Amino acid sequence: MTPDAGGEGDPEQRVRIRLRAPVAGAAASAPDPGPEGPRPFVLTAGRVASADPAIGLETQVTAEPGASDDEVALLPPELQAIIALCAEPISVAEISARTRLHFGVTRVLVGDLRAAGHLEVHLGPGDGASDPELILRVIDGLRAIS
Amino acid sequence: MDSVRSPDWPAAPLGGLAANSAAARYGTPSGPAPAVGRAQPPHPAEPAYPPAHPPAPPAPVAGPRPEAHPGRRAAPPVPVKILIAGGFGVGKTTTVGAISEIAPLTTEAEMTSAGIGIDDPGARSAKTTTTVAMDFGCVTIDRSLKLYLFGTPGQARFGFMWDDLARGALGALVVVDSSRLDDCYPVVDYFEQAGLPFVVGVNAFDGRLALDLDAIRWALAIGEHVPLVRFDARDRLSVRDTLLVVLDRALQRATRDRGA
Repeated sequence: MTPDAGGEGDPEQRVRIRLRAPVAGAAASAPDPGPEGPRPFVLTAGRVASADPAIGLETQVTAEPGASDDEVALLPPELQAIIALCAEPISVAEISARTRLHFGVTRVLVGDLRAAGHLEVHLGPGDGASDPELILRVIDGLRAIS
Repeated sequence: MDSVRSPDWPAAPLGGLAANSAAARYGTPSGPAPAVGRAQPPHPAEPAYPPAHPPAPPAPVAGPRPEAHPGRRAAPPVPVKILIAGGFGVGKTTTVGAISEIAPLTTEAEMTSAGIGIDDPGARSAKTTTTVAMDFGCVTIDRSLKLYLFGTPGQARFGFMWDDLARGALGALVVVDSSRLDDCYPVVDYFEQAGLPFVVGVNAFDGRLALDLDAIRWALAIGEHVPLVRFDARDRLSVRDTLLVVLDRALQRATRDRGA
């Protein structure tokens, strides 16, 4: 009994269907297939609070250079994907978007990976919003856009 | 065992990293909005943007990649953020996309027809999907400073996200559609209470405003100190100038706090 015999079983095909841009009318009237895959917080074993609440959307993350590849290879694919993305400095929001994980899930996983020594989380000096110098630099940078 | 399906949720990420751009999710806009505002290859027949000035246009700089140093690693940039808030279909994603150097990404799924009726985008919109979480983009200011723009829905039931978003934000731009003002009341209230500097930007759809700015200011009951500007979410320079107004407010607050 292979109910997936058609295009359904081919992962390529299925992914393409999921990502297809909605066509006005046609897609809107299609029946809702319901949630797919496991619920988001399964990956964190149900934890919703990160080890470090200071990790924000824009917090920059990099891979820890010392991390051994053997160790990384033993991690679940989601975590490996996160580490792979962090080869260059990247924000937690971007990790969340690119791995298509819920932001809350990403934050917990990043906290875990940091605790395990795989990632470096760059929590800056904190309140940039109160630094006029920083704001002036942003203003100058935006003015240069044409 | 036809009930067992391999979970296809984690299958997506590695294959299609680029697939999560807002453009891929929302499709090309069917309305009059032209290609999501990015001035990517400056259209030859379009004189709207002045030809690149000598101070290199920052747009094509490939995101967060200052040459890969195999040995030593560059320090990550200091992130700063501005929020773009507003009701459904007012042009938050377009605003982010107009100035971001990456195609706007989104951290959540879109709301489909299930949300229509609750989140009515109005008679003038052909929108069938909309964002339930955040769209965001970024602008690299220089090697050590990066500006992030986070779009967030303005209705009260998304308030759970605002604390996270507002923490450390420089300021906020509340985007409103002059024909549907009520969507943005909760977020205006929130920013007022949180003391976050904000600016109300009226997105002039096709250059038309349903009400004049004074009437809008009265309807929103915002004080004289809150700038109310009219802008075009599709136009890079218009978005840039509006963000500069936000930053001006942020600077005022920062210098005032510093002086106090």
